[in-house]
Amino acid sequence: MDALQMLGEGFLGALTPINLMWVLIGCVLGTAVGVLPGLGSSMAVALLLPITFSLDPTAAFIMFAGVYFGGLFGDSTMGILMNTPGQASAIASTFEGHKMALNGRAAQALATAAIGAFIGGFVACIVLVFLAPALADFSSRFGPAEFFALAVFAFAATSSVVTDNALKGLTALFIGLGIAVIGVDGVSGAPRFTMDSPYLFDGVSLVTVTVGILALGEVIYVACLERHTSDKKMLRPKGRPWLSRKDLREATPAWLRGTAIGLPFGVIPAGGSEIPTFLAYGLEKRLDARRPHPQFGKGAIRGLAAPEAAGNSTTGMAMGALLALGLPISATAAIMLAAFRQYGLQPGPLLFDRAPDLVWALLASFFIAMVVLLILNLPFAMLWAKLLLIPRPYLFAGITVFCALGIYATSGSLVDLLILLGIGVLGFLLRALDFPLAPLIIGMVLGPLAETSLRDAAMSANGDFSILVHSPISIGLYVVLAVVLAFAIRGRIVARSRARATASSGDRATEAAVR
Amino acid sequence: MTFPPNPTSASAVVGDRLRIVSRPGIAALLKALTMPVVVAAFATYLLVGIFTMRVPSSADFPGPQFFPAIITVGLFAFAIALAVAGVREVRSLPDPHVAELLAAESGEEAPAEPRAVRIDVRSFLWIIVSFFAFALLLDVLGWVIAAGLLFWCVARGFGSAKPLASLVVGLTMSSLAYIGFDMVLGLPLPSGILGGF
Repeated sequence: MDALQMLGEGFLGALTPINLMWVLIGCVLGTAVGVLPGLGSSMAVALLLPITFSLDPTAAFIMFAGVYFGGLFGDSTMGILMNTPGQASAIASTFEGHKMALNGRAAQALATAAIGAFIGGFVACIVLVFLAPALADFSSRFGPAEFFALAVFAFAATSSVVTDNALKGLTALFIGLGIAVIGVDGVSGAPRFTMDSPYLFDGVSLVTVTVGILALGEVIYVACLERHTSDKKMLRPKGRPWLSRKDLREATPAWLRGTAIGLPFGVIPAGGSEIPTFLAYGLEKRLDARRPHPQFGKGAIRGLAAPEAAGNSTTGMAMGALLALGLPISATAAIMLAAFRQYGLQPGPLLFDRAPDLVWALLASFFIAMVVLLILNLPFAMLWAKLLLIPRPYLFAGITVFCALGIYATSGSLVDLLILLGIGVLGFLLRALDFPLAPLIIGMVLGPLAETSLRDAAMSANGDFSILVHSPISIGLYVVLAVVLAFAIRGRIVARSRARATASSGDRATEAAVR
Repeated sequence: MTFPPNPTSASAVVGDRLRIVSRPGIAALLKALTMPVVVAAFATYLLVGIFTMRVPSSADFPGPQFFPAIITVGLFAFAIALAVAGVREVRSLPDPHVAELLAAESGEEAPAEPRAVRIDVRSFLWIIVSFFAFALLLDVLGWVIAAGLLFWCVARGFGSAKPLASLVVGLTMSSLAYIGFDMVLGLPLPSGILGGF
């Protein structure tokens, strides 16, 4: 029970009044940004990252735990009340969640989402406490060849498997990789692509890229395109957000099933929590169809409970993959990785040995953040929904100012503001032309890891690249990747032939059945 | 709300999918070629960088140019593939007049999804230009004034109808941020022309 003892010490470290205050601030800010229209949880993390740089590492990470999970709790509010999910992982919750709201059960829907997020996250944290040290132990056997294999896995999964256009995904990935090579080369010390400008010696900061792509790009996108099309009305939640015993009996198995589906996805580098939320939704729908009185389509509480729990358990576990392997599986986790680097910490197997106080305090503060978030979200869900009433010009103007503040405060240089603007325009172009954004961020984050491990491996073998496939672990990873790719290609061919069949027969019913 | 067959391809933040429409012809071609040009330009920058790089003689193979070279080759290849796919798509677009006739014949409107919009150039310029000016003038004007003006301009770009109100809100927000970050958290923000007092 070593892990429990360490966790106990972590709680002692995290439960000081000042740290509790940081958790609370993090939770409030995270939920607020998560609830706001157009801002998902990854953007919450990107925007709030710079603020934490003036704190000491423990306080900063404790606050970050609040922001990280707070964003997730808030994500589904928009989807439920306005039928516009805050980010892709909230789409699955929106189907039944919004129908519940339309049926006058908005308050119950918000409560179901909050409890689902709580259960998923809490279970994931418990698993994490026991799994993360073992995972770190396992990954301490990884050499450069294995890390390169992991990075390749993450690249392939995020850019090709989970996007519907592999060409666009790969393009985004390579742009990210290209941005990451700017700056002084870590291995040889040669300045690369800097145009001899001292501003570029350290490269383009990951914070600038994430804020530019996720936040400023979004602002420009909404200004130029999105605001001209949306005319969504918000449903005002009424009544008390308490679930009846019948609701609880309905939702509990769905919460648990969703959690179980979400957990394994937290350690697979496949782009985050979108896939498990859809799997959980699909499973509940199939189970529901077998019941005497199917509820789906009429606001089934299970269709909301399962994806919420799945999304949060994936996100919780993703922190495990990040801490133990140094491998971010989603854009949000990638930004967390940037936060660690800012403090000179490299997540990965060594982190548990080098900074155990910090890791365990962080894990403990996950639990605290979960409880705080449940308290913040369950009774006050209606208050959070009021945030949706902020006029859009002010909201997005505020976000823009906040982007500028964050970047200027971290670097103190005007050049970074101009780079931010350039990357914001790039983010807008990618978004408007339907390119996925997550591969770019993953490429930016893992690019340096991939490059150094590739070169270290090859140099240690005197330039012989076959060393990359010498160890059983890396061979295993490539085999898994090949299987995943084969499945993805097969799935795509099936989907394409199905779409062709639908299109040729023009039969709407088939299409509805597929959905 | 509509969902693509593979919903994870929706942009990372907004789940809704929009399609920019442009008139067939030059505009459609421009839209199809924007990304290939951007990608190719970036790849060229990397290519020039690779050739002008001063590599320390101690660097063993694979040196600092090795990984960027792979990326550059990949970027050029993707740029070409995107351009080919884009041009093919534009070619396959029906001629506008024919499309109109067809629509009139079938008596149906073109399918409405994904929702079609045009880029609002004025909003775009308001945001880009104001942010650019903000970055250049921040040190002169100081945080409070520059950020307040940035807020006003972006709100304007979003079609805010009340200029005075948004200026008040913007200045309030920038002052609060100055108090919170500069004075409480100790993140230095420029005081600019207000710092003389």
